[in-house]
Amino acid sequence: MKEKLLKICVEGEAAILAATTEAALQEVKVSIFGKQGTLTELLKELPKLPPEQRPEMGKAVNEAKVKLSAMIDTQREALKLKASQVSPDFDYTLPGEMPPMGGLHPITQMRYDLDDAFRSMGFEVFQEDDITSEFYAFDNLNFPPNHPARESMDTYWIEGHDTGKAEDKLCLRPHLTGGSVRYMQTHKPPYRFVYPGRVYRNETTDARHERAFFQYEALIVDKEFTFTAGKVMIKSILSKVFGRDVPVRMRAGFFPFVEPGFEIDMGCLVCGGKGCSVCKHVGWIEIMPGGTPHPNVLKSAGLDPDEYTGFYVNIGLDRLVMMRYGVDDVRLFHSTDLRFLGQFH
Amino acid sequence: MKLSLNWIKDYVSLPSDMDLKQLAFDLTMSTVEVEGAEELGKRFDGIVVGEIKEVLPHPNADKLRVCKVDTGDEDLHDIVCGGSNLEVGMKVVVACPGAFVRWHGEGEPVEIKNAKLRGVASYGMICASVEVGLDALFPAAEEHEIMDLTSFDVKAGTPLAKALDLDDIILEIDNKSMTNRPDLWGHYGIAREIAALYDLPLKSFAPFVPDSVEVLELDIQDTVRCPRYIGVKMEGLSVKASPFEMQSRIWRVGMRPINALVDITNYVMLATGQPTHAFDADHIHGHITVRRAGEGEELLLLNGKSLTLTSDDLAIADSQGVVALAGVMGGAKDSILPTTEKVILEVANFESTGVRRTALRYDNRTESSSRYEKAIDPERCDQALSLSMQYFKALYPEMKVVAMADHYPTKLVQKQIDVSLNWLERRLGKRISEEDLEKKLGALGYTLAFDGDNMHITVPTWRSTGDVSIKADIMEEVARMYGYENFEATPIVTSFEGAINQLDVDLVRKIKEYLAIRCGMQEVFTYPWMSDEFVSAILGDTTGVLKLSTPPSPTESYIRSSLLPNLCKAVVKNERYFSDFAIFEEAQIFRDENYTSKYDEREKLPTQERHLAGAFAGESGQMKSLFLRAKGVLANMSRLTHMEGFTFTHDKKPGWADDTVWLNVCLGGEVIGDLALLSKKASMACGIKNLSVILFELNLDALRPFRSRTNEFSHLPEFPVNLYDVSLLFDVDVKWDVICATALRKKKPDSFLRDVTFVEEYKGKQVPEGKKSVTLRLHIGSSEKTLTSGEIEKCAEGVIKDLARELGGEVRQ
Repeated sequence: MKEKLLKICVEGEAAILAATTEAALQEVKVSIFGKQGTLTELLKELPKLPPEQRPEMGKAVNEAKVKLSAMIDTQREALKLKASQVSPDFDYTLPGEMPPMGGLHPITQMRYDLDDAFRSMGFEVFQEDDITSEFYAFDNLNFPPNHPARESMDTYWIEGHDTGKAEDKLCLRPHLTGGSVRYMQTHKPPYRFVYPGRVYRNETTDARHERAFFQYEALIVDKEFTFTAGKVMIKSILSKVFGRDVPVRMRAGFFPFVEPGFEIDMGCLVCGGKGCSVCKHVGWIEIMPGGTPHPNVLKSAGLDPDEYTGFYVNIGLDRLVMMRYGVDDVRLFHSTDLRFLGQFH
Repeated sequence: MKLSLNWIKDYVSLPSDMDLKQLAFDLTMSTVEVEGAEELGKRFDGIVVGEIKEVLPHPNADKLRVCKVDTGDEDLHDIVCGGSNLEVGMKVVVACPGAFVRWHGEGEPVEIKNAKLRGVASYGMICASVEVGLDALFPAAEEHEIMDLTSFDVKAGTPLAKALDLDDIILEIDNKSMTNRPDLWGHYGIAREIAALYDLPLKSFAPFVPDSVEVLELDIQDTVRCPRYIGVKMEGLSVKASPFEMQSRIWRVGMRPINALVDITNYVMLATGQPTHAFDADHIHGHITVRRAGEGEELLLLNGKSLTLTSDDLAIADSQGVVALAGVMGGAKDSILPTTEKVILEVANFESTGVRRTALRYDNRTESSSRYEKAIDPERCDQALSLSMQYFKALYPEMKVVAMADHYPTKLVQKQIDVSLNWLERRLGKRISEEDLEKKLGALGYTLAFDGDNMHITVPTWRSTGDVSIKADIMEEVARMYGYENFEATPIVTSFEGAINQLDVDLVRKIKEYLAIRCGMQEVFTYPWMSDEFVSAILGDTTGVLKLSTPPSPTESYIRSSLLPNLCKAVVKNERYFSDFAIFEEAQIFRDENYTSKYDEREKLPTQERHLAGAFAGESGQMKSLFLRAKGVLANMSRLTHMEGFTFTHDKKPGWADDTVWLNVCLGGEVIGDLALLSKKASMACGIKNLSVILFELNLDALRPFRSRTNEFSHLPEFPVNLYDVSLLFDVDVKWDVICATALRKKKPDSFLRDVTFVEEYKGKQVPEGKKSVTLRLHIGSSEKTLTSGEIEKCAEGVIKDLARELGGEVRQ
């Protein structure tokens, strides 16, 4: 009988530990404690023992019973923690569910990147109205009536406002500089501000020309400022926007609102300056005109050009975005096509 | 503009080891943008002069011949050719295998290979002029005529480029980079810049000194529009071809040689930048008069255009009428004809803006007008006259000048500029010595006189027509000649005057980021003008809508008074590809009202507001959730963007909205926008096929950003708040905001009701017809104790009773 009990204990313990599921464990439990369980059967034999052996044997069986059932409980707990909550055929390779996907327009993204860069350097962000008068678009900047700059900016005039007076004649702004003068007229120098905005030209459109496009004007006006400091500024801004050191060069250029004026080129990021199709094999890409604000611009803002000078750049946002992503048609920006816009998260 | 480097070398001797890339780079950095530099001779690689030794019939084709050609190799080559003018002894152009030619002058260049033509092997090809791009210099009389070089004294095998002296570099200059430089529109001007850049001597033109001749009668009536006019009458001329070199130069910079008389005028213009014109003197009646055209006067231009002139046009006239449009183009009648023997050469200066107006008026811009409109200085007439007469004499040794006149009523005044040396140093960040200034500016033609801190500058004539007029211009000249890249970068001096706090700028950005990133909407940009069909679909009425006088198209003249028409257009565009999307736009709208300006009281600007609009498009079955999503976007906007929040009313239906589903968006009691379902009618008028569209539009200028974060902390509840859900049946027309307000009436200081929130609404089979089930969640709790279930039930019952009594709500079992 003792041997039987020992056998039940040894085999029972092994079976409990071998059970890897709760169901299997339950089976083990039944095989020991069930109606025909091994231990139950053994207990039935107890009355057949000589009476002097019964208490000792009864105690031993009882201890075995407590021990085994404790083992079963422990094993059950262990199995519970170990087990997966779901069936093992759960397919964890299914694609994730997307949160609703929206996005800012790539030009807005670039604009905000520039805003962040300029604001980190102490610039204010200025905004103005889209409709302006001929007075602020041209006359105020002291461009004579026949100045080619007026005609080169083929302007969208507004119907019914041509009274012959420049203050009344209205247009969609052809450039931002007239608006910059508005800022200067209402603030005290020194100035340090950027002016992002959309400008409008009555032109034939193609992959490189649009009727509505985005400019980003940055202007510093102060008593002492050399144009080489402007170069440092541009280099810092571009390096921040593109996240790496960007070579910048300045060369002779003509732009009506600056004197001296220059074209600012940045090293082609596609080929690293070696020359590729993006930079027409010169290693440089023209990105913005810049220069010292023209004395006429300063005068129209009520400043003495002998006393004040500064630095001005006009960044073509469309072009910068086209370069950032390799977009080859400027008209896509106003296309409202979500297949295009959805690419810029 | 194209420039020939060989031509430039006529005026400045470039060192033989001059690095072409460096020259293009230096010009780009200091003067004009060089867009390209082509080695002209390379176009003719592998193309040589051949001499036809024998012409044999082709065994398999009637129209082809087999020529035995000497191409300088030991053996003659067989070349199959269909040319109509093949002869023994003729010198021809042979494209050897490997060379590129343009088949019949069309398409992309193709490589010549050894090939069999109708069964006969051919070594390369005998070319027509058009096939090697030389048709302008060797015009073919008919299609099958091949190019004939017999008159050239060259040996067989000579490379074509060498035979025709075509080894040259053609520089392509970006015209936009020199619109402000009238002096650069000829080879001489660029030669002057190069001479200055490299400190090389520049050749000058010997002035033309005429023999004493009769005075040509001239009458200049408008001396403002015509500051100078030189006329030279010559005899003993004829129409013939100009020398090959002159033709070649004219051709290589992009013009067409015509005949010697016309070629001289074009050559002089390309050399000096000064246009000239030759009249057939036999067709000039009386004398030349420079005057304004009469209104309605007629002129047939030499390009065949017939014009009716205005009094703003400056004309060259004779006693019978207008013969030319000054500075733009000659008339057909008096220009060079095949019979011309006598010429009046015009070397004149015309005022820039007048020429520009006339050229634009008749859409007739020419090489001449585009130069005049840059403002040429009248002194340049002397150079042009000198060079013209040099060529007339050389090409027509028998020519006689019979009369001449030089009227110069409006003398050019050279600009005088005083520049302080200290000012220059401060602006440049560098002191430049007087010697260096003298050297750099002197080479460009400036005369300098120093007196203490002052530098007095006399601007050369060719820069005195507006280009250089103030001291900033001088600073630019110094900086570019010194090289922008040669100034050391100086750091920016900053002055800290407090942080920049721009709440309005930040607010708009936060809103856009909220819509894009949290609400899953895509930002779009549309034009400020609207298509008529969307204007009538959405706005209907166009009162107060501004219009463009020069619209991009006749049906896009209205500029937006609302962002919605263009947003609907964007919905239509995207409906093709998507059935569930949300877009938004931030832009200005305009209204024909309230004309004022905060900058200048004389200025009158219309109302301009910054607006924000959005469109949610989805399947029509999803309309309700689409609307609630849109409403949620607006309702939560303030919470996430830090501004005063919106409320909604149902007061004034927007015209484009559905009769039932619309709301007005309010801020502090004022309506600042709308949110609604686009009506079926408007939707159909827009051309939206299947989708339901929820639109909103707000006036961003009306939003009020918080100056700082303002919501206050509230203590966590000490005792549990119990959530008690109850469903009630109401009539379908009882609105949630009424139910909620009625339930909340029990929220008093002495009651346990804390809040009421919406759980769900149900209409359908489970509830009786005309009824809906609304589930509310009551938040019940106390700040003093834990409530018993009896207290909770009692509180809830109070609310339910109110709802039953006032709104007929019955608890659903």
